[in-house]
Amino acid sequence: MTEPVALERPDVLTELGQETLRRLMRVWFDFERRLGKVPILRRLDTGTFTREDHLALLRNLRPQVVEGGRWIARCASSFDRDHADVRSVVIGHAQEEHRDYEVLEADYVAIGGDLTDIQSRPRNIGTEALHAFLMHRASQPNPVDLLGAMWIIEGLGDKMANNWAERIEELSECGPEATRFIRYHGENDEGHLDKLYGMLDRTCTSPERADAIVKTSKVVARLYALQLEEIDHV
Amino acid sequence: MTAFITSTGRFLPGPPIGVDEVEDVLGLVEGKPSRLKRRILKANGIETRHYAVDRTGRTTHSNTDMAVAAARACLERSPLEAADIGLLACATSQPDLPLPGFGSMVQGVLEIPSVELISTHGICSAGTMAAKAAFNTLRLGEQQTALVVSSELSSRMLKHTRYEAAGGHDKVDFQAEFLRWMLSDGAGAMLLESKPRGQCLRIDWIRSFSHADAFPVCMQVGSPLDREDARSWQDFPTYAEAEAAGALLVRQDLRLLENIVKLGVDGALRLIEEGVLNVKTLNHFLCHYSSHHFKSKVYDMLEMAGAGIDEEKWYTNLYTRGNTGCASIFIMLDEFWKDGRANVGDTILCMVPESGRFNTAYMHLTLVDA
Repeated sequence: MTEPVALERPDVLTELGQETLRRLMRVWFDFERRLGKVPILRRLDTGTFTREDHLALLRNLRPQVVEGGRWIARCASSFDRDHADVRSVVIGHAQEEHRDYEVLEADYVAIGGDLTDIQSRPRNIGTEALHAFLMHRASQPNPVDLLGAMWIIEGLGDKMANNWAERIEELSECGPEATRFIRYHGENDEGHLDKLYGMLDRTCTSPERADAIVKTSKVVARLYALQLEEIDHV
Repeated sequence: MTAFITSTGRFLPGPPIGVDEVEDVLGLVEGKPSRLKRRILKANGIETRHYAVDRTGRTTHSNTDMAVAAARACLERSPLEAADIGLLACATSQPDLPLPGFGSMVQGVLEIPSVELISTHGICSAGTMAAKAAFNTLRLGEQQTALVVSSELSSRMLKHTRYEAAGGHDKVDFQAEFLRWMLSDGAGAMLLESKPRGQCLRIDWIRSFSHADAFPVCMQVGSPLDREDARSWQDFPTYAEAEAAGALLVRQDLRLLENIVKLGVDGALRLIEEGVLNVKTLNHFLCHYSSHHFKSKVYDMLEMAGAGIDEEKWYTNLYTRGNTGCASIFIMLDEFWKDGRANVGDTILCMVPESGRFNTAYMHLTLVDA
């Protein structure tokens, strides 16, 4: 039986791994530019973001965060014994994040939101599309392409903490007790990204797999932005 | 068809001004030294710079004067004379006169008859825009020679009296003061010919990627300090009122500025993907980073992408010539070339990221011997 091994950041990526990372960086840059056009996020840049925007952002992120634990767990169960090392990493990840939404709910209450309101809010139409896609991919055998999804979602966690948290506090006039979810992700996602580099070398074993990873990153980037464009559109 | 840079020239006004003298030249706002100065000057790493204003605030050289001086220095190294120039392309962010175009004023002094004229407007990338227009005109075969001049006179906007007119220390924030310690004056010129002449720089391509669709304004002149006030300087009843509202101060949004690194890298990766840029065989990288602060960030991100450029290939004269906006890359190329840093066959990538509303330009050259 294959022993689970730790996947750490390699000093040098394989040629295919490096090329895939370059492609993923381009997808990420495109994604960031697309986010720059999303109205609620553009208001962060122009300084017109309000407390109401902060509430709406948390309200619309929550369903995806709740579902996040599910698709990652589904993804783990779809890896066979030849991918036991990858499965170990994914299980660890699912364990770390599956109750993140409780932090998010506490932030919502801290800024004056109503707990039953956020808990009863259904997924917006962008979240529906994102969730359906992720669950679909996670149900395929050995879904290595979901590395592309992690690239976008973990990268966004990092961006939230480093670009958004302080700005949100400044503009919505709240303290750090209302941005714990956003900050928590930044503190932890750098470790996640290190694992991701290790996974890149492990999973980019053919050009077809590399293409699948890049394609899934593009779809997730588009649908994630859609989720943020469709604020409260349920 | 292609085009060749057969000569370059530069002009830097007055003596080099050291870090400790900067505020002596620009003046103390309300008689008090700046509290931010040290921090900003340390981060940008610029040791000496040049100003076309003296310590009394008087302009010693107009922007046109500097452009003409750089153009003449460029022509001095060429057998061609001003009258031989078919196209004159001039760039600046702050012409002496809002109207007519900067190129007309430069032509007037250079006395080039019946020249085809281009004036480009923007910030740091305006010079490469002018170069691209000239390059294309030569490639089309419509002209055989083009003089491209890029010149900046920022110090006029940085004098203490400007900040006092906008309300002094109480009103002027970090964003409005930041560029006071960054920008300085100078001009550069390049002569382009459709045929090579001796050792010259073949222009392989000039490309740019603008991202104003995805970002708000990052560096600007024209909006008042009050963010709620959507008027531009021209919407005020009088220019005096616009100045009092801070609408004539040059400002930088530091939070947005960080985007410049990834957008610069993004463009390089696009050109690699397209197959026109090969960083492995590249010999020299002339990067107009506005501040030393950004150098390691660009370096690290290129490295992460597997597109790293070895440190010894990087060249800049930012630290001794200052950040002269759109003139910087011209001044850099001139000094680089004259210092004999390139051998025949070497490839050179010039990169000009502009923070205004994010436009990044790239120029690829090869040193050839005709």
